[in-house]
Amino acid sequence: MTRLIIRRVLWTVPVILLVILMTFLLMRQIEGNPFRHSERAIPESIQRNLEAKYGLDDPWYVQYVRYVRDVATFDLGPSLVLRNRDVNDIVREHFPPSLELGALAMLFALVFGIPLGLLAALRANKWPDYSAMVVANVGFAVPSFLVATLLIYFFAVRWGDIFDVPTSGWDTWQSKILPTIALGLGPMAYFARLTRGSVLETLQQDYIRTARAKGLRRRRVVVVHTLRNSLIPVVTAAGPILGFLITGSFVIEQIFAIPGIGRYYVTAVTARDYSVVMGLTVLLAMIVIIANMVVDILYGILDPRTREAR
Amino acid sequence: MSAPLLEVRDLRTHFFTREGVVNAVDGVSLSVDRGRTLGLVGESGSGKSVTALSIIGLIPKPPARIVSGEVIFDGRDLTTLSERQLEDVRGERIAMIFQDPMTSLNPTLTIETQLVETIRRHTDVPRREARRRAIELLDEVGIPNPDARIKDYPHRLSGGMRQRVMIAIALSCEPDLLIADEPTTALDVTVQAQVLDLLDDLRREHDMAMIVITHDMGVIAEVADEVAVMYAGQIVEHASAAALFARPEHPYTEALLGALPQLEDHASRSGRLTAIPGRPPSLLDPPPGCRFAARCLYAGEPDGCAEHPPELRELRPGHLVRSEHPASERARPREGAPA
Amino acid sequence: MSSTPQEHGVGLAPLRQRKERRYPTPPDGVQTDAGAPIRASSLWRDAWYRYIRNRAAVIAGVAFLVLVAYCLIWPIVSPYDPYAVDFSQASDGPSLAHPFGTDQFGRDLFTRTALGGRVSIGIGFAATFVILTIGVTYGAIAGFLGGFVDNGLMRVLDALYGLPYLPFAIIVLAIFGGGNFWTMVVALSIASWFTTARIVRGQIITLKENDYVRAAHAVGARWLRVLGRHLLPNTLGVLVIAVFLELPGVILGEAFLSFIGLGISPPDASWGSMAQDGYRAYRTAPHIIIVPSVAIAYLILCANFIADGLRDALDPRTRET
Repeated sequence: MTRLIIRRVLWTVPVILLVILMTFLLMRQIEGNPFRHSERAIPESIQRNLEAKYGLDDPWYVQYVRYVRDVATFDLGPSLVLRNRDVNDIVREHFPPSLELGALAMLFALVFGIPLGLLAALRANKWPDYSAMVVANVGFAVPSFLVATLLIYFFAVRWGDIFDVPTSGWDTWQSKILPTIALGLGPMAYFARLTRGSVLETLQQDYIRTARAKGLRRRRVVVVHTLRNSLIPVVTAAGPILGFLITGSFVIEQIFAIPGIGRYYVTAVTARDYSVVMGLTVLLAMIVIIANMVVDILYGILDPRTREAR
Repeated sequence: MSAPLLEVRDLRTHFFTREGVVNAVDGVSLSVDRGRTLGLVGESGSGKSVTALSIIGLIPKPPARIVSGEVIFDGRDLTTLSERQLEDVRGERIAMIFQDPMTSLNPTLTIETQLVETIRRHTDVPRREARRRAIELLDEVGIPNPDARIKDYPHRLSGGMRQRVMIAIALSCEPDLLIADEPTTALDVTVQAQVLDLLDDLRREHDMAMIVITHDMGVIAEVADEVAVMYAGQIVEHASAAALFARPEHPYTEALLGALPQLEDHASRSGRLTAIPGRPPSLLDPPPGCRFAARCLYAGEPDGCAEHPPELRELRPGHLVRSEHPASERARPREGAPA
Repeated sequence: MSSTPQEHGVGLAPLRQRKERRYPTPPDGVQTDAGAPIRASSLWRDAWYRYIRNRAAVIAGVAFLVLVAYCLIWPIVSPYDPYAVDFSQASDGPSLAHPFGTDQFGRDLFTRTALGGRVSIGIGFAATFVILTIGVTYGAIAGFLGGFVDNGLMRVLDALYGLPYLPFAIIVLAIFGGGNFWTMVVALSIASWFTTARIVRGQIITLKENDYVRAAHAVGARWLRVLGRHLLPNTLGVLVIAVFLELPGVILGEAFLSFIGLGISPPDASWGSMAQDGYRAYRTAPHIIIVPSVAIAYLILCANFIADGLRDALDPRTRET
């Protein structure tokens, strides 16, 4: 088991290197640099000085190596656009809200999605199934910006007197409710559908019949035998979903005015603030990679057959 | 003579599908005495598995339903019991093992878990005691190093070993009746005999009754005291094993035993199926008369076999047949029948 | 071999090739069973029949075609100019004259939605096509060649999985300097083809090991023939399903990017850009954002049901009771 974990962890290193490389190369394709395209017209000579100061005039591979070295020491460098601010500072300030939002949305999706799917599967083709699946399908198809807008519209505009729910900021716990729902509804629906399909498939298996033939109580058959095996594909899907949640929260952050990295990212790209973009992208990539790694490990725990497969 | 342990009376289990109603089990009656083994033999689709599942109420409830009949086990009619009551019977009084050991065990749980959960479900023993008993059981079914292997996951065991584990699980609560559905079909030939021997020994030691379901006459010859032959959802012959092999009556049984007169020279009671031309009738739309008529060598125009279904009648004490042309009533082969 | 758990869902077990078969006439005196006559059908016809029997899939298929027809035809016959600004009609709710209402610039939403649909669906299909092309090529090479090449390619793929989808799309858009149809297509496909590649590779490997392929090969069929007659037709089913599975993701991607201002920008119409317009007016005229969002949801629902229907039709073993 530990061998599995160590191997997974080691694997992340070349992946991160690759991500840095690709981001790096892509960013360099964007015309210009932050100084040439800045809103304040900067005189040529100062431009060149700035470029030299930030090492932008070195060949790309030199910059790359230097950057990798910096990342390894957790130094993401200074922002090229915002003076006196390090990327690290930006990250420290703005990353936690995004992370928290993603985590809460994921929790919401799992806590409500899995039982919904289970219920639908156990009462397959009857009313609870149909209604649950309608909810799931709609929740999955409707884009999150609409969900967010509607939530704000109803809870703040229409029923503002009854519910006192803030629609911007990320300070009080009440302010976290609506964004979580808006971001988590889609994944919740996805998990519900996935769970339902998986449970139905598991129920067909011979070992479920054996479990029933042993006279085990229905609850045990469902929870211990069925659910555990059904969760495998759900867990597999959860990894990429987590990555998607954290990286795709840009829209939600914008609508709910959450001071996360989403907004920073977009402006940084357009302003060609290399270090910010690089830093944030690397960070986001690491989250995705770690999420996938955790999923792999969880999969190994849930399904003993895969532990020896390699 | 004491009452039989299990008595099935005119059981009918139908599957209600989109294409129509499939009469999978259509009027099956049989009985098993304490400590005896009944063999239920027939080809795939004859309804033998469905009969077994109906006994313990494990048929898939949405499409299937026991339409009529009774299953009297130890004085109670199982068809009238609620699901919860059936859960108490299953595993403890009646145990069942299935055909494919590869898929019948939960791959994500250890052998220990799957054994102990059964024991603790039906008896009130602490975990340590249950575990000890589990190891004992594994030893009894012939698994080497049981205290080590009990921690294994099913995929680490071979097919034969897994079937032994299944048997151990079935035996764990000392059931009165064990139903074995094709217990050896999925196993290697060399292992088959071992498992059959094991089953027979265990049955004797624990004084269990057993129903063995199979399509293989060889298995019947090995373990069965009594035999019921099923065809197209019905019992067509029921006799003691000795009687069945000595004097088979129903044309289908004869074919199964390869003892048709014209094949006398090839006949050895090796229990191989002879190829009977044609196929079993569709149970969606069963023929009005005898269901075997289409493939029977003795059915013909004047006897009305195709119109009137024959009843199960007692030809000799203890020997029942559902046919208008049992062997002992045949004068001689009809004209036109193969020489 | 790849180090991640196998995919759940789309990988199909190989379909059996069935040729037209005529059953031998039984000898005299022995009747065949009392059932209905058996009709042998070809593979695709079978799948078609199975698909038709699935009511939800059929409705979704029809709904999808209706949507496409609407997007293609309506802008041509519409009496309204989708770009004409007319403040006297601004932000009107749905009415007979304007079935979807008007936006805050007075433009007819019914027409703009159709126009936007062309763009959004167009981007969706184009990006999906690119995703499939790259994915199939990559996966087929890996699966077919196997061994060292396969191993290497899969390692690289595992690494590529770490690329965050949306950020990279944003960067790509920035490289091109803005969002239009083709830049969006590239941006959305660049980090989305990995799953397809893996699925295709898995399918090819399964098929390669399959007995009937081995048999064909043993009989002397050359690899090209095997490829053409066995591997590709069976993979085709997987690919068709993959199209309808990737489509929702791409459509949503376009919507998100346009919504935050990076993709298609107003006054050009795409469902995402229309949603952006609508967002600004959500307090007073919520229908402006609702209309394009519902259109997106409609499309995604159709795609889901079609994909489910196709999956059931092509591999009945996955059907639920």
